[in-house]
Amino acid sequence: MKKNNPVLLIIAREYLTRVRKKSFILLTILLPILMAAIIMLPVLLMINSEKKQHTHVLVVDETEIFLNAFEPNDNVTFSYASGDITTFKQDILQNNKYNCILHILDNSQSLKSNLYYKEKVPSSLSSFIERQMDNIFFDRILQDSLHINPAQFEKLQELTKADVTTIQMDDKGNERENIAEINEVIGMVCGFFIYFIIIIFASQVLRGVLEEKTSRIVEVIVSSVKPIQLLIGKIVGIALVGITQFVIWVMLTFGILLVAQIAAPSLMSGSVPETAVPGAGIAADTLPADFSIFQKINEYFSVSFGEIILCFFFFFVVGYLIYASLYAAMGSVVDNESDSQQYTLPITLPLLLSIIVVPSIANNPNGDLALWFSMIPLTSPVSMLVRLPAGVPLWQVLLSMGLALAFLVFCIWFAAKVYRMGILMYGKKVSWREIFKWLRK
Amino acid sequence: MNILDVNNVSKQYARHLALDRVSFSVREGVIFGLLGPNGAGKTTLIRILNQIIYPDSGNVLFKGQPLSANDVRQIGYLPEERGLYKKMKAGEQALYLARLKGMEHMEALTRLHHKFEEYGILDWWNRPVEELSKGMQQKVQFITTTIHQPAFLILDEPFSGFDPINANLLKEEILKLKAAGTTIILSTHNMSSVEEICDEIALINHAQKILDGNLFEIKNRFKKNIFAVEVSNEENSLADDLQNDFEVIQRQTLPHSIRYDIRLPEGKRANDLLNVCMRHSNILSFHETLPSMNEIFIEQVEHFNQLCHEKE
Repeated sequence: MKKNNPVLLIIAREYLTRVRKKSFILLTILLPILMAAIIMLPVLLMINSEKKQHTHVLVVDETEIFLNAFEPNDNVTFSYASGDITTFKQDILQNNKYNCILHILDNSQSLKSNLYYKEKVPSSLSSFIERQMDNIFFDRILQDSLHINPAQFEKLQELTKADVTTIQMDDKGNERENIAEINEVIGMVCGFFIYFIIIIFASQVLRGVLEEKTSRIVEVIVSSVKPIQLLIGKIVGIALVGITQFVIWVMLTFGILLVAQIAAPSLMSGSVPETAVPGAGIAADTLPADFSIFQKINEYFSVSFGEIILCFFFFFVVGYLIYASLYAAMGSVVDNESDSQQYTLPITLPLLLSIIVVPSIANNPNGDLALWFSMIPLTSPVSMLVRLPAGVPLWQVLLSMGLALAFLVFCIWFAAKVYRMGILMYGKKVSWREIFKWLRK
Repeated sequence: MNILDVNNVSKQYARHLALDRVSFSVREGVIFGLLGPNGAGKTTLIRILNQIIYPDSGNVLFKGQPLSANDVRQIGYLPEERGLYKKMKAGEQALYLARLKGMEHMEALTRLHHKFEEYGILDWWNRPVEELSKGMQQKVQFITTTIHQPAFLILDEPFSGFDPINANLLKEEILKLKAAGTTIILSTHNMSSVEEICDEIALINHAQKILDGNLFEIKNRFKKNIFAVEVSNEENSLADDLQNDFEVIQRQTLPHSIRYDIRLPEGKRANDLLNVCMRHSNILSFHETLPSMNEIFIEQVEHFNQLCHEKE
């Protein structure tokens, strides 16, 4: 390779000036910490409440339905009493004998109760109690009014539970278990992610082009290198910034989580004691279902994880290049950032549209809307990724990729033509007609 | 030997013709003034020389060979609209621009250090350009233009934005570069600087070259036979005699002398004028007044515009 390759020099400058910016360093480091905090905060909160709080509840039950019926756990204990509620209230106010009083009123119509406390109790306590009361009351009615054994009833419920599994078959007849909700979520996440990457980094290209034009340095640079070299250097340099940021984000987030796991293994392994919180009983009911979904995601990924990654990478690169080159062209014909919007609007609009239709495409990944949006190159990077997890016929994926590539070639040609002329035009607004004239030259 | 030959170069933009079959040559080692009113086509021509744009027809030879991409290393360019990356450090930026011109990292670094020191801005090496004063920014820009020691330097309005002191420093730098063998094209409206430092000029108007050649020859070509005589005393008859035989343009009474500006009519020679003066006065000085570049510029451009007008 030639020494002093100008494109490499330009890439290095574009990359280094951005990576060394304070805002870049701040954002790159803070975001993973924020992410990790969001993931760990609930867990930390659980630990805190587990250590500190033990709640003693005095049940004053006028109905006598709930006598000795509450199930205590590590954090909550129950004792029962009957009599005048005001004297018990005095107990709380004066000597903290118990943390709170559950006063269940005998009011024949509905089940009404009050929970009195002086010092703050866990916020989940009332829902914990509510659930228990629901169950106890339900079992009581089953048994007393309908004469059904609650244990039998539970068995019956399990027996009659229906389960519909959707199974997708491909052309060769291979079957694959498919969960529509997960497809939707994965698709939407991928789609939004691609959208943000394109918007953030392609508009950095726009701003970079504008900066060079408004500071007039572009004329000095294009007297040393070809405009297309400057353009390529800028687009590639900024892409590398994006990749760097992304890699650091992923590594830091995992790094922080890993450290947290080593520091407190029980926290992160997912085996948070069920009884850690008053109210954990709720979680205990729903957790198994959630777990099975996680397992299914794993199964799912083992089938098409590679395909999704590959497509993600392809559409990320091609989508970024398409928008970056178009933005660069538009940045070169204007003199300031506020003017740039009228030129970028026709390009940004399809991208916005593709985000607006994400929910409908995720909902019906093989409909007409989804098909068209995943074929049109300006929308396909987002739309195809939304569709992909649900399974898209191979010919459609390949056609969409081919169209995107062909369009990219056009965009690069377009950008090279417009950029070369645009960066040298000062002071006057360039009309679309003039731009088309440049293209024919 | 010519370092640059511009042959029949034309450039058409969407709406107007920017250059119309322009030809001229620049000899090696001279300072060449590229003159013309605003919008005449100078910037287009300069951009063609820098290979930023290309001519529609005609060609440009650099050292006898068609201009090629590698020649940019031998060309330095200071555009009229100066510009540097505002947020980038001065030294780093100069290094970047030097390397884009093909210099090796170490060589560029050493030479830049010397230059920054020479210009008294070494302390500003690590400061973003936007923190530098305008004069310092101009210095950085000039350094980046010349750091790769180009054989051929293109300066577009180099004196604009300089205060008189720095403008003078710049002039000295330009003359130093000339002495070192650099050929310089100077595009400017500032006619006094043209008179001071240019050896040759080309005048461009409405996309066409209307005049070129050696500055002294051009001034001679357009001279109007005007002489200035300064005398210490005069007999009354001097004014009458001069009025009779010559055309007195102006008579000025100075503190210790009298000055006449006189045009020789057809057929008279300078010696005839001297003879008359000798008879009636003590001559302090006598010299021919050549037209200033400013006069020639205005006259030629107006003359040309009139011709164009008549044609239409």
